[in-house]
Amino acid sequence: MSSQNYSYNPSGQQASAPVTAESGRSVEYTCGDCDASVQLKRGEPIRCRNCGHRVLYKQRTNRMVQFEAR
Amino acid sequence: MPKIPTQEELEQRKRVQINAETVTNAQSNDFPHHWPGEDHSWNLDYFKSQFRVKFEKNERYDAEFSLIGLDTSVANAFRRILIAEIPTLAIETVFINQNTSIIADEVLAHRMGLVPLTASRKGLDWMSWYREPTEEDRGSGQPMDYNACQLRLEAACTWLDDDAINRANRGETDPNKLYKNHSIYAKDLVWVPSGQQNDKFEEPLRPTNPDILLVKMRPGQKIELFVQAIKGIGQDHAKFSPVATASYRLMPTIDITKPILGQDAKKFARCFPKGVIELEKVTEEEASEKKELEGKEGELKAVVKNPMRDTVSRECLRHPEFKDKVKLGRVRDHFIFKVESTGQWDSDLLFLESVKLLKVKCERVKRGLDAMMG
Ligand SMILES: [Zn+2]
Repeated sequence: MSSQNYSYNPSGQQASAPVTAESGRSVEYTCGDCDASVQLKRGEPIRCRNCGHRVLYKQRTNRMVQFEAR
Repeated sequence: MPKIPTQEELEQRKRVQINAETVTNAQSNDFPHHWPGEDHSWNLDYFKSQFRVKFEKNERYDAEFSLIGLDTSVANAFRRILIAEIPTLAIETVFINQNTSIIADEVLAHRMGLVPLTASRKGLDWMSWYREPTEEDRGSGQPMDYNACQLRLEAACTWLDDDAINRANRGETDPNKLYKNHSIYAKDLVWVPSGQQNDKFEEPLRPTNPDILLVKMRPGQKIELFVQAIKGIGQDHAKFSPVATASYRLMPTIDITKPILGQDAKKFARCFPKGVIELEKVTEEEASEKKELEGKEGELKAVVKNPMRDTVSRECLRHPEFKDKVKLGRVRDHFIFKVESTGQWDSDLLFLESVKLLKVKCERVKRGLDAMMG
């Protein structure tokens, strides 16, 4: 099975859909098996480059959250 | 013609009696119209002549002292002011940029709020109250150098070395041999002074107890946050209370009414904490003076050495051989205060501050009464 078959494509569009500015940005994920960080761009197969595991975790936002220390 | 009470009777009047099952004479009775023909109206000169302060222990974070000759209502007012009304600096707001540890953000924030802070007295006195922003006044509620202090916490846990993961697989469980930064302590909170704080604080702001554990982490976990500490009072939240303990107890008394001798004396001493009861030999003089001690010269006798250390457990009253030979009690107007500061004030200064605050409150009432009458 080729990893290409697993590329994420929710809208049902073809892989050659118009390239937006968003597609250039990569997002960092964490491998569910080997804990390596995985940089993914839009349309890339969801797979760890280190071990080939197909479960990746999204990381927590870097945005600031405010709490009362009570 | 009113009867003038003897010194002994005056002592008995303020003695709380502690019996095997009951406590009696607990209420104060030194007020007008209680004792026929005696004037007990409050008098400043009389109070001054009777009132005494005695320090038992005076360390920075631990003080014990006696206040003798005042009413429970006043002693209790001091205690309550100590706990709830003297301001201190504590962490109030936490800004979390990243927290991938297993402790939830709000739990971590709550833990940090409870960490006692310390700094120079001068700097803390200089700090003023922080006010929350209001709808009416736009731009209000800004944290400034004179009302908020900032501290940072940045930590990331990593494997100790390249081989650590293999050691973990082989069964090593000691975190010190596997990870770097696996435990984050209060000392990892670093003060970021701003503006005038640089000059006003002679000593840096820091947690009083550096080794309070905040979070445990594992490789790959990270914490990045900063906090704001503001002034507040214990009435608002316990984290602002300047004391770990502010309590008083009444001075215990032990009256041995009939001599306790020999083996009984040893057993009697064991009914009390160490140092309260001591054993002394009956002297020739005593043996000739007291009928009960006749011919007992040289025998061991129980004497009260240091009643202050007694916990008033009443253990001695459980034994039939002592029941009619001893009277336990407490002195109603002798308060043994124990004040333990959490770090921002010296313990003795804390008490003086409570006196100052009570005075301010009284003056407020007086002004209110004047306004009402005028
Ligand atoms: Zn992997």
